[in-house]
Parts: sequence; structure tokens; C-alpha cells
Amino acid sequence: MRTLHYQFPASRNPARRAHVGVVGSGDLEVLVEPGTTDGCGGAAAHAQVRVRTSVEGFDEVWQATLERFFARTPVLGNWELNDAGATPALVTLRMEQAAEATGSGDTPDSEEAS
Amino acid sequence: MTPATNAARDEAARALGAIVGGQSIDWEHVLHRRSFLELDALARAEALVDDGTIRVLSGPFERLESPWLQPQDITPQSDDGVVIARGTIGGTAVVIASIEQEFQGGGIGEVSGAKITQALRLAAASSRQGIPVPAVLLLETGGVRLQEANLGLNAVAEICSALLELRALAPVIGVVAGSVGSFGGVSIATGLCTHVIITPEGRIGLNGAVIEQEAGAEEFDSSDRSLIWAVVGGEQRRLTGLADTLVVDDAAELRDAVREAVAAGPASPGSHRSERLDVLDARLATLDPANPPEPRQLREMWGDTYGTPPAKPAAPPASSGAEPRPGVVHSRSSMQPSGRGRTWITALASGTTPRPVTGSVLRADTDGTTYLAVVPDPHNPFYRARQGQVGLTECAALARQFREIAVDDAHRAERRAIVAVVDLPSQAYGRIEEMAGLHQAIAAAVDATEAARIAGHPIVALVVGQALSGGFLAHGLQASQILALDDPGVVIHAMHRQAAAHITLRTVAQLDELGKTIPPLSYDVRVWATLGFCDSLLNVGSAESPTHDDVQTVAQAISGAVARARSGPADLSNRLESADARKNRKASRAVRDTLSRQWNEHSGQ
Repeated sequence: MRTLHYQFPASRNPARRAHVGVVGSGDLEVLVEPGTTDGCGGAAAHAQVRVRTSVEGFDEVWQATLERFFARTPVLGNWELNDAGATPALVTLRMEQAAEATGSGDTPDSEEAS
Repeated sequence: MTPATNAARDEAARALGAIVGGQSIDWEHVLHRRSFLELDALARAEALVDDGTIRVLSGPFERLESPWLQPQDITPQSDDGVVIARGTIGGTAVVIASIEQEFQGGGIGEVSGAKITQALRLAAASSRQGIPVPAVLLLETGGVRLQEANLGLNAVAEICSALLELRALAPVIGVVAGSVGSFGGVSIATGLCTHVIITPEGRIGLNGAVIEQEAGAEEFDSSDRSLIWAVVGGEQRRLTGLADTLVVDDAAELRDAVREAVAAGPASPGSHRSERLDVLDARLATLDPANPPEPRQLREMWGDTYGTPPAKPAAPPASSGAEPRPGVVHSRSSMQPSGRGRTWITALASGTTPRPVTGSVLRADTDGTTYLAVVPDPHNPFYRARQGQVGLTECAALARQFREIAVDDAHRAERRAIVAVVDLPSQAYGRIEEMAGLHQAIAAAVDATEAARIAGHPIVALVVGQALSGGFLAHGLQASQILALDDPGVVIHAMHRQAAAHITLRTVAQLDELGKTIPPLSYDVRVWATLGFCDSLLNVGSAESPTHDDVQTVAQAISGAVARARSGPADLSNRLESADARKNRKASRAVRDTLSRQWNEHSGQ
């Protein structure tokens, strides 16, 4: 198992936390929680991502997949991905489902969460 | 069409969920079915409760994940694969425990097991306060999660105990929708339920594919799907009275069936399958292991309700050594008959000779104490239980002893102690055993042991040799106190080394290496003793041929354990209170505390 940490520029605040998916073969679960500060009291400008994956050797694929996702869906917060060998397409799909479930919608910088 | 083809057509239509009445088939119903099988654990729970009433407890954001998987390079799941939810069904407050079959095959680990146990205990506590809370258990699992072996095995014992506590107060409804089915230790819990609902896709069996590994493909071919479903499938279980309701895979039908079972309330004492020893005995008497019936014949022989079977008892086998398929009794080294059980029960019952209850179950009564042991019997007609395994007749005999002792002592000032002398290579792995429902027989033994303990009998398990898997669940793991000899030949585990290595895709060497850092995986009894439920590890000079001093040491330890059991709780709650549990079962304790805290939150909304 491998644990990877990333951060990506993001701007939309999630209204609520969200959970989708299961850690089943070829699938993953995604947890997102609002995290509204950058750790120094200022407004967060980055989404924090932790990936735990059963498959080793795909760090660059993760980097690319997540980068593309956050470029299109810049949802802030703490993201946790628990992966059991999902394809990049399924990773993106689950993350989109999670983003939608957070209610971040298309309204940038929603303040509902705070 | 001829009547025969009509019948075949009707049967096929019913299997698809159509409503068949007279000449007409309502196919509309089929088109509107919503598959329950395709739902995940949370969606299944949601589908069963009244709309909008679901409230998840100890959910993913509590992060009560397994502490044992990450060190084994396995990605954990944030809720450890069990959804606990409260809600109402037909207006009645219920609790649901739904196992996620996609995560680790639904395997029960420390956390997922503790969640189910604590949910059942909280429901029992509410019920005692006058608000009965029925439980609905969605059981899709291969059984104990082998990556958490001994903690999973103990978790199953605790689930069974908590289930029985609640079952007296409110119904516990088991739902086995598929596609994994209910196997391993969890099948025993299924056998304890007030009401079991199953689909044709569902299965209930103690042993799955592992039978083939243990006994060869001629005993049970794990790739033969039609054989598997014929033996352990939903329809067969329903038509032999081992399940109560058969429904097609449709969320609405499952919801209706569950609603009906909730509304029916608790069953009357003595009427549960696992209490009907008369039925168990009568059913087993119809079987001739040397000439076993086909699964389909069993439906006529036993009938579809769990009552006195229509079939007559089979003639006693002409030669007790007979077996139907030559070669099926070959066995691996760990199943070589061991003499330890007989040796220790004989030594401890000084002054009396243990008497055979059956060829394979010995009982010895001394002043104030009864000893029970399962021992090898080379003439056991159930040939898969000849090396000391716990099989159908062993469970029936054990259950009857516990029940009789409890009745005998009902009016005595002090109930006698019962000592389970444990040297069990495992449960019996065999086709006849699965067909007859070994899970149901073990449930009878578990139920009787729990009942004796709750009635006030101090129950002490003394492990003198192997204590593996379903064998230990049947005889030992329901004890108030567990003692084990500190000896290399004492092995306590969910599965023997070779099979566990095979199933977890490891070598035996890798497994032993992991056991050094992950206590629940270890085959070393000294490590097992740190998990929190060992009450004492006993030093003896020889576990194989005990000296007089050895016997004295053990007898004294038993007296101490009996005294502790008399002053301790009647349930298994002390297994979370020991100093070792505080260290190695932190996760179970966190589950207990979180669920207790969340049980009544927002209940006014």
C-alpha cells in the first residue's frame, strides 16, 4: 500500500462533507470535508489530498489525474481517497460525485460551510 | 400447453418475480423490479427503512477504520465495511447493520464486528427500558476476515452473544440477499436469528470453497455452481426450513418481508430454530452418512418448516466405517487425531471416568463441576468428523448437555461450573454437513452455552490443544473465562496456517512473519493471550502427558476462573475491560463508546 499527499489550487468551498464509493476491487471511496483555512488563519487556496492505494508505482498517474480534476473542479477541503485499484476514469467519476454531493455547485466561494 | 409445461412456465415466471395467478402472469411486476442485490450496504439499509428516517451511526467520518490492515499493505475503508443505521420500519424504531460485501468480501474484522455487537447491545438496552428495538442484519460475508483472524473470530462470538441478548426482547431479522451470502462464523449468527429472509441468489453455509481445499473436489467441487446452490442456496434453505421467507431480488419485496418480520415481534422462548434440539436430533436421525440423500430429496425428508421431519429415522449404518466417496477421509497433518482432549478430561475428572455422550463427546461430572470434551472417534458415521472436528452430532450432543445441566440446576442454590475442554482441529468440512446445515447445529450449541452462562453457570474454556475456527466458536468461545496451556501445541486461530496462507495469497513464512508484528494474526498462543480475552495462560510440564502437578496447576486455575466467573458479568462484556484489551482492542472500545454516544443523538427529530 502506498500513501500519497498532494495539494492543488482550488477556490470553491464545499457546503458540506461528502462520502461516496467503497474500497472494493477496482473501486475507491472518496471523503471530502470542508477545510476553510490554510493552517495559518488565512483563507485556504489549496485542496489537500491524501491517497491511500493498494497499487504501487502509479504516483505520476495519480498526479496527472488529480491535477486534471482540480483544474476543472477546484473544490477546496480535505480530500481522502481510499483506493483498491480503480482506473483513472473511475477515480475522476467518484471525485465528481463527491464534489457534487458537497454542494459546492457552480457557486464559487460559497460561505455556507462556515 | 400441457400442464407440465404450464408448471415449468409458471415456475420460471415466479423466479423472475412475476405474479402468477391462474392462467395469467403479471409481467409488469418484473419490469418494475428494483434490484436490491445491486445496491451497496448503505443503499440497502436505506431501501428497507421508512423513507427519510435513516440515521447512520459511526459513519465514515468517524474514521473507525481497522488498525490492522494498513500494516499489511491493505487499504482500509473509513467505516470498515459495516453500516450501522437507525430508522423506522412501519413506524417501529429499528437498528440496521448492513455489511458491505465489496470491501474485503464482507469479512468481519475487529471494528466491523464490534460495530454489529455494540448495535445489538444498545438495541437490547433500549428494549429493556421498554422501547423494543428490533435489529435487521444484512449478512453478506465470507465470515471472519482472515487478516484480523483471532480478533475477527472473537468478534463473531461476541456478535452471537449480543444477538441472543436482544432476541429475547425484540426480533432479530437476518437478510441474506446475496451475492456473497452468509458464510463462516456469521452463518452461525444467521442460525440464531428470529427470522431469516433470503433470495434465490442468497446462500447460507458454514464452509464455502474451503471444503474442497480440505477434503478434495470429490467431496465438494467449489467451481460447480449448480451443486453449491443446490446445497446452500436460498431456495434450498427455505424449502428445508432453514430460512423463513424466500423473496425475489426486488427492493420493494424485501422491504415488505422485513416489515412483516418486524411487526411479528419477538418469537416465544423455546421456539427459535437454535433452541429446537428435538428437531435437530430428529432431522439428523434421518440421515445415513454412508448413503446421503441428494439435496432435492432433503426437501421431502425434512419439510419446509423447522419441525418434526416427515421422514423416518435412517436405519443404523451397517458398517460404521462406510463412506460414500472413497478417499474423502484423507486429511492434513493438523487433523491427525489428538489424544489431548481425552487425556485432560480424564485427568481433571479424578475419581470418575468420563462417559461418552456419543462416540465423540465425553462428559465427566465431579462435585460441582461438569467437564465436556469433543474427542476423535474413528467410527463416527459422519466421516468428516472422525479426527475430533466439531460436526453435526457433536453440536447436537453439546447443546443437549448444556440445556440439561441448566434444567437440572434450575432450583439449586449454586449452579455448577461447566468446563469446556478444548482440543478441536476445526469444524467438520463436508458436503453432508453443509447440506444439513452445520451452521444451524453450531448455532444450537452456541445458544445453549450462552443460555447456561446467562442462567448463572460459570463456564470455563480450557484450551489444551488446537482451537480452530468454527470448532472453537461451537465449544469454548462462549465461555465466561478462557484459559489456555502455555505450550507450542496449543494453537488458537480462525484457520490453520496452510489454508489461511492460501486464502490471503501469502506463503506460510510470510504469514508467520506478519504474526510477529500483528498480534491477531499470530499462531503463537502467547501472542493470542495478549488480545484481551485470555484470562490465564497456564504453565505445565507436559501438555501431552500431564503430571500430577500439572493437573493440580490446571485444576487450581479452573477453580480461580470459576470464582471470577461467579462474581463477574454474565455476558461477555469483560472481554473489553482487561488490561490487554485496553491495549490491543482500543479500536473495539472506540466503537463501543462512539456508538453509545450517538445512539440517542437527534432522536427527537
